[in-house]
Amino acid sequence: MFRKKNTAGVNSEEIRAILDEKKDKMKLSLKACAHCTLCAESCFLFMGRDKDPKYMPSYKFINSVGVLYKSKGYVDKLDLGEIRDIVWERCVLCTRCYCPIGIDIPEMIALARRVCRSQGVYPQYDKE
Amino acid sequence: MESSNILSWTFAYDFIRGPMVWVAFIVFILGTVFQIIKFLSLSRTSEKITFKAGPGNILKPLPKDAPKTDWLMWLKLSVAGTNPFLIIVTTIFHVLLVLMPIFVLGHNILWDNAFGISMFSLPEGVTDTMTLIVIICALIFLYRRVFLDRVKAITTWGDYLFLFLAAAPFITGYIAYNQTLLDYKLVITLHMLFGELMLMAIPFTKFVHMIYLVLVRFTVVSEWGLGKGSRTW
Repeated sequence: MFRKKNTAGVNSEEIRAILDEKKDKMKLSLKACAHCTLCAESCFLFMGRDKDPKYMPSYKFINSVGVLYKSKGYVDKLDLGEIRDIVWERCVLCTRCYCPIGIDIPEMIALARRVCRSQGVYPQYDKE
Repeated sequence: MESSNILSWTFAYDFIRGPMVWVAFIVFILGTVFQIIKFLSLSRTSEKITFKAGPGNILKPLPKDAPKTDWLMWLKLSVAGTNPFLIIVTTIFHVLLVLMPIFVLGHNILWDNAFGISMFSLPEGVTDTMTLIVIICALIFLYRRVFLDRVKAITTWGDYLFLFLAAAPFITGYIAYNQTLLDYKLVITLHMLFGELMLMAIPFTKFVHMIYLVLVRFTVVSEWGLGKGSRTW
C-alpha cells in the first residue's frame, strides 16, 4: 500500500495537466458517488464475470481516476499498469452503466485512458 | 463572559439551539445554491435530435396506435428489477429522511415559537414509528457495507462516518422522544448537533448526492428520469 514509487518514465506534470482539464467534474463525481453499488448490474462485464466486484462501474472509476486524483498524478508505471487493466481490460466504454446520481462514469474511464495513453501505457495487442 | 460559562453545559445547549441553527441553515442554503450553479456550469443543454428526410427518403409519420409501453417489463428491466429490495429500502430511507422531520410535532412547535409559522404535524406515534423505520433502513445499509463483497470492495471509513451522521439525528431523536437510555438534555443537544452537522455537510461532502440526485433526475435523460432531459454532461 505504501510502497516506494519509482516514477521513472512517468511525467506527473503532464498527468496533472490532463486531470486539471476535468478537475471539477472529476472531484464532484468522486465525491457524489455514494458507494451504493446500484451501478453493478448495468455492466454486462460484471454480469458475465460471476458478479466480480472488480467489474463494477463504480469500482472501476474509483480505482482509476480516483487513484490518479488522490495521488495528484504522482504514480509510477506499476500504478498505471493496474489502471490500464481496469480501463481497457475491464471496460469497453459501452456507456451503458447506470448511476442513480447521474455520475458520468464513461467520461471518467475515458479520462483515465487518456492519462494512461499520454504516458505510453496502453494495450498493444500486436505485441502482447 | 467567564470561561467557566463558555465551557458550561447550558452554554453548549444554548449555542447549539440558537446561533448554530442559523449557521447550519445558511451554510446549507448557500451551499446548495453553489452546487446548483456548479451543476449548470458543468453540464450543457443537450442537442435536440431531429429527423429530416434526405434525398430518396421519406419520413413516415408514426403510427397512431403506437405500441404501448409494457410498464411491468420496463420495471423489471430497470434498476428496480435488478435490485428490488435495495430500491425499496433506499426509497423509504431517503423519503422519510428528507420529509419526515418537517412534519414532526416538536419541530413545528419550535417553528411556531420562533416565527409563528409551521407545517401541519403528523401524530407523534406515527413519526416515532417512521424514525424507527429510518434506523432499521440505516442498519440494513450497515449490514450491506460490512457483509456484502460488492459493497465492501468500494467502502471506505468515510462511508461508515456518513452513514452514522445520517442516522444519528434519528437515533438521538428516537431516544429523546421516548426518554430512555440516556439523559434527555444530553440526547436532545446531541440530536440538534447531529442534525446541524448533517445539514452543513450536505452541500460539501458525500451527502452532495442528495442535491445531485434531484438535479440530475429532472434535467438529464436517464433511466427513471423525470424531467424533459434538456441537459447533458
